[in-house]
Amino acid sequence: MSEKKFGVTVRVWRQAGPGEKGRMESYEVKGVDPDMSFLEMLDVLNEDLVRRGETPIAFDSDCREGICGCCGLVVNGDVHGPDEHSTVCQLHMRRFKDGDVITVEPWRVKSFPVLKDLVVDRSSLDRIMAAGGYVSVDTGAAPDANSVPVDKDDAEEAMDAAACIGCGACVAACPNGAAMLFTGAKISQLALLPQGGPEKAKRALDMVEAMDAEGFGNCTNEYECEAVCPKEVKVANIARMNREFLLANFLSKR
Amino acid sequence: MDIGFVKRVIFTSIGRKFVMAVTGLALGAFMLVHLAENLLLFYGEKAYNGWVDLLLSNPFIIYAELGLAAVFLLHIVTAVWVRWEDWRNAPAGYEERRWQGGRTIGSATMLYTAAAILAYLVYHLVDFRFADHSMGFYAMVTGAFRDPVFVGVYIAGSLALALHLSHGMQSAFQTLGVNHPKYTPFIKLGGLLVALTMAGFAMISVYFLLELDQKKVEHHYQVAATEAR
Repeated sequence: MSEKKFGVTVRVWRQAGPGEKGRMESYEVKGVDPDMSFLEMLDVLNEDLVRRGETPIAFDSDCREGICGCCGLVVNGDVHGPDEHSTVCQLHMRRFKDGDVITVEPWRVKSFPVLKDLVVDRSSLDRIMAAGGYVSVDTGAAPDANSVPVDKDDAEEAMDAAACIGCGACVAACPNGAAMLFTGAKISQLALLPQGGPEKAKRALDMVEAMDAEGFGNCTNEYECEAVCPKEVKVANIARMNREFLLANFLSKR
Repeated sequence: MDIGFVKRVIFTSIGRKFVMAVTGLALGAFMLVHLAENLLLFYGEKAYNGWVDLLLSNPFIIYAELGLAAVFLLHIVTAVWVRWEDWRNAPAGYEERRWQGGRTIGSATMLYTAAAILAYLVYHLVDFRFADHSMGFYAMVTGAFRDPVFVGVYIAGSLALALHLSHGMQSAFQTLGVNHPKYTPFIKLGGLLVALTMAGFAMISVYFLLELDQKKVEHHYQVAATEAR
């Protein structure tokens, strides 16, 4: 049996639908177990709201083990909550104490319009991916395994970039609302590997142009994104994207 | 003739930042040369005016000045454009917001230090570049440095510049895609050193404000007098 249960007040952003006017509302949550996750605390609150005949608070979540990229809340001004390099589903109520007032807000980014309450539309990131975040593979017999040699360090670095779960925390934390860490990671994970080579130039140009078209801000190299990224994706990936883009612009035939 | 690559430089986020970075580095290099020139003030009137005369005797100096003005303008125009977009796209409406440790004082104040430097630049141009040079450059500069108000403005300008460069130098390399586990720590340190060097401008003005040059001259006289005895 864990420590004593306690009560908190959550101040949550409520918004009925896209484009509607929203507001912060306060709710008391009693019987909070310190072992509960933050999202489970919201579940408890929602059950209570349903019992009272009120509309439950909408929020995104899927795996609840920090790997899917669905959840994303700003808790007391911290993107993904107070734990460093973590998703908000991995935040536990033991971080809070009885009587705490907790502010819960959605990502407030122009390119991520709020759909309802704490749920935002992150399809702008999908459209950046659709512009070139893939490799084209010819059909035919599968090639022999290990026929393409890859440097171990490059493979590791590509994996580190590929760890990006697309949660959008980098954009939510950026003073300029830039999606450079996301796009940088997605360009890097392929640029570092031979399989990404043939489409390198086209990918860099197309994905950066798609990113700009979605209305994300510009990078001012403040590195707030790196500081919050739950997967610890490094800003070296942004430099790689800049390099890939500039080389493609000046040296490729495009 | 396909000018698509030029359009990309002007109309994409990374293209504009590229122009900002290249012009920023050029301006940083100019400031270092400018400081080296100003250090000649320590060598006295002959050395300083000799260098200025040599510079002005070059018939192409006016084109160099126009080029420098163009670099300044490009840096300012691209920066304003970038910041205008950032301002429109920045996350807005958070009731509570905490920075997570990525920003530095230098990076968070880039816009303000830029405005301070620009204001200072205008003051500096009016006071030195477009002023009356008949008394000679050494007398004009050192004369201005005897005025505490001018020195105050001058120190504020150098501080703004140092703060601006503390973020700007390493940021320019990152924008140009120069980020390497081996070299980036050196680039960051180098950027800070260049920023710190800008204190040299303030140091020169304080030297003349405190009339240390006169004391040096007096000391010479004393030595000469002692030797003559």
